[in-house]
Amino acid sequence: MNPVPQAATAGLGAVLERGDVWRGDALARLEQPGIATGHPGLDAELPGGGWPRGSLTELLCDFPGGGEITLLLPALASLSAAGGWIALVEPPWQPYAPAWAAAGVALERLVVVRAGREAAWCCEQLLLCGGFAGVLAWTGRDPDPRTLRRLQVAAQGRPAFAVLWRGAAAAAAPSPAPLRLILAPSPAGLSVRLLKRRGRAAGRCLTLDLPRPERRSRALARPPFPPAAPRSPGPRVVA
Amino acid sequence: MSTALGLAPGLAVREREEDREGTALEALACWAGRFTPQVSLAPPATLLLEVGGCLRLFGGLEPLAATALAGSREQGYAVAWAAAPTPLGASWLAWGGLDAARADPESCRAALAALPVSVPAWPAEVRERLAAYGIATLGDLRRLPGAGLRRRIGSAPVDEILRAWGEVPDPRPAFVFPEHFARRLELPARVERAEALAFAARRLFAALAGWLESRQRLLRSCRLGLFHDHGGATSLALRLAEPSADEGRLDRLLRERLARLELAAPVEALALEADDWISRPGVSGDLFARPPAGEGVFACLERLQGRLGDTAVRSLGLNPDYRPECAGRELPPGTRSAPVEGLAGARPLWLLPRPLSLEEGEGRPRWHGPLILLGQPERLESGWWDAGEAGAMGDTRRDYFVARNPRGQWLWVFRDGAGWSLQGIFG
Repeated sequence: MNPVPQAATAGLGAVLERGDVWRGDALARLEQPGIATGHPGLDAELPGGGWPRGSLTELLCDFPGGGEITLLLPALASLSAAGGWIALVEPPWQPYAPAWAAAGVALERLVVVRAGREAAWCCEQLLLCGGFAGVLAWTGRDPDPRTLRRLQVAAQGRPAFAVLWRGAAAAAAPSPAPLRLILAPSPAGLSVRLLKRRGRAAGRCLTLDLPRPERRSRALARPPFPPAAPRSPGPRVVA
Repeated sequence: MSTALGLAPGLAVREREEDREGTALEALACWAGRFTPQVSLAPPATLLLEVGGCLRLFGGLEPLAATALAGSREQGYAVAWAAAPTPLGASWLAWGGLDAARADPESCRAALAALPVSVPAWPAEVRERLAAYGIATLGDLRRLPGAGLRRRIGSAPVDEILRAWGEVPDPRPAFVFPEHFARRLELPARVERAEALAFAARRLFAALAGWLESRQRLLRSCRLGLFHDHGGATSLALRLAEPSADEGRLDRLLRERLARLELAAPVEALALEADDWISRPGVSGDLFARPPAGEGVFACLERLQGRLGDTAVRSLGLNPDYRPECAGRELPPGTRSAPVEGLAGARPLWLLPRPLSLEEGEGRPRWHGPLILLGQPERLESGWWDAGEAGAMGDTRRDYFVARNPRGQWLWVFRDGAGWSLQGIFG
């Protein structure tokens, strides 16, 4: 037997280790281990076993408030606890400091950047400097493919967790980001659909049960009393 | 003068301005503060640095001299130098064009002995007399008996010879680094483009860095004034996210600002003033030297602040107040705020800048669909001390609810005397 197949297998193994080539029935193996998401079901579906470092992640979400940030909070809290810096670039609303502190993010290492129209440039600079462990960016207008390419190149090879938030309408447009998820609130929790990943095509949607401020079953049956009411005990209603 | 112009018609003639020379010498003395705290001025054009105590820090006389020469040439000065055990000896060797170091006393005296008598700046009559006596070098002068020499040419030159040889002490008044740094630089030509100012400002930044080093301070903010030819002035405030003494950072910050600046009129002078500084904290070295984590972070944030403005890049802090609008505040990046105890109840990750009033339908608030209210209301009633103050929230009495709309969004709404409003969104 000629020894060529042996050398070829060793070469193929080395190629598969790189992370951008994978077998059709498996997930890619990334150079840097992924950041644990805190949800084992999602960890099993992501290449690298968690959120990827060193590449752009796109989260497409139309209706905020269903738990999309809560999904990232375990990862952000672990990055912050390890001494890393987190940056929020042009967030849609003001981050509420007590809630972020209660979630475990160190406030002195959380930076809010109000960039206006320069959000993409700011995101690129934050990724290039290499000192930030997590960058979450909301660009006001949908970024064009050249901007996305620049962000992906800036994130390449750095140890930062880069997230770009876009609307669900962007699912139809191609993007250079290696990981794209569509998030939508559902009655049972947050539904996560993997639009694009380095690995086999994703099948079903995941529904993750995220910690919510109140149990869904505790709806008030009657309209509440107005604030001028006398000091009577409030209604205890559990639907 | 007419002969000179006749020989070289293209000669550019400038009047000598002694006070500007003195200012330039002082600026150079400030810059030299990075090498040693003991600097002395010998006008019109000599600067003395006492470097005996700093040699070990800089690794020897040669590296120190090389750094000092490179730095002064970068600022545009042509420098002649020498190093010797006595200040007068070093001055004379430099004026004689030695450009080398004579560190031990014997070689210094040998070099001084070889200098011609014209090198020390003695009055013309002294030089004429010495020429009449046939004395050509300082070595010859040294060999003559002192008493007779004093009678013939005066005491001053003889005392200087003794000081240069090191037999008589030669105390020099030390240059006092100013308490506040404020330096002005006249530009040689009027500058019309903003980018060219960065090159001229480097001299000012070099002096500032030397001053910071000598006073052991770190700079937080400084102001660069641009003086236009019609008499007006523009002021640029440069603020550092982290106190530092690095002139390279100031230079980069200035370039960012100048790239966006439109000059109203040509600039003929610059003035730099240090506004805010802190004393340098003593840092003990680590045995296994580790670079501090996050060092690149502050430089990056400074660049963003230079482009977007100071208030655009902020960290968050906690405020012990029950009213949600007042419970968080914005701080410069990296500032730690004291933790606040006693936060109960569910709190949203996002807060609207101003509560959005919601319309009501069938007794329930509506926002993209009727809202279902969950759980018990939480009443926040606080802030009586602010009532009546301009810009403060005042007394608020609100019932807060966690609500969910048919789309699946979780919201934080409240009801007060004016009806239902949306305050925050749970992320």
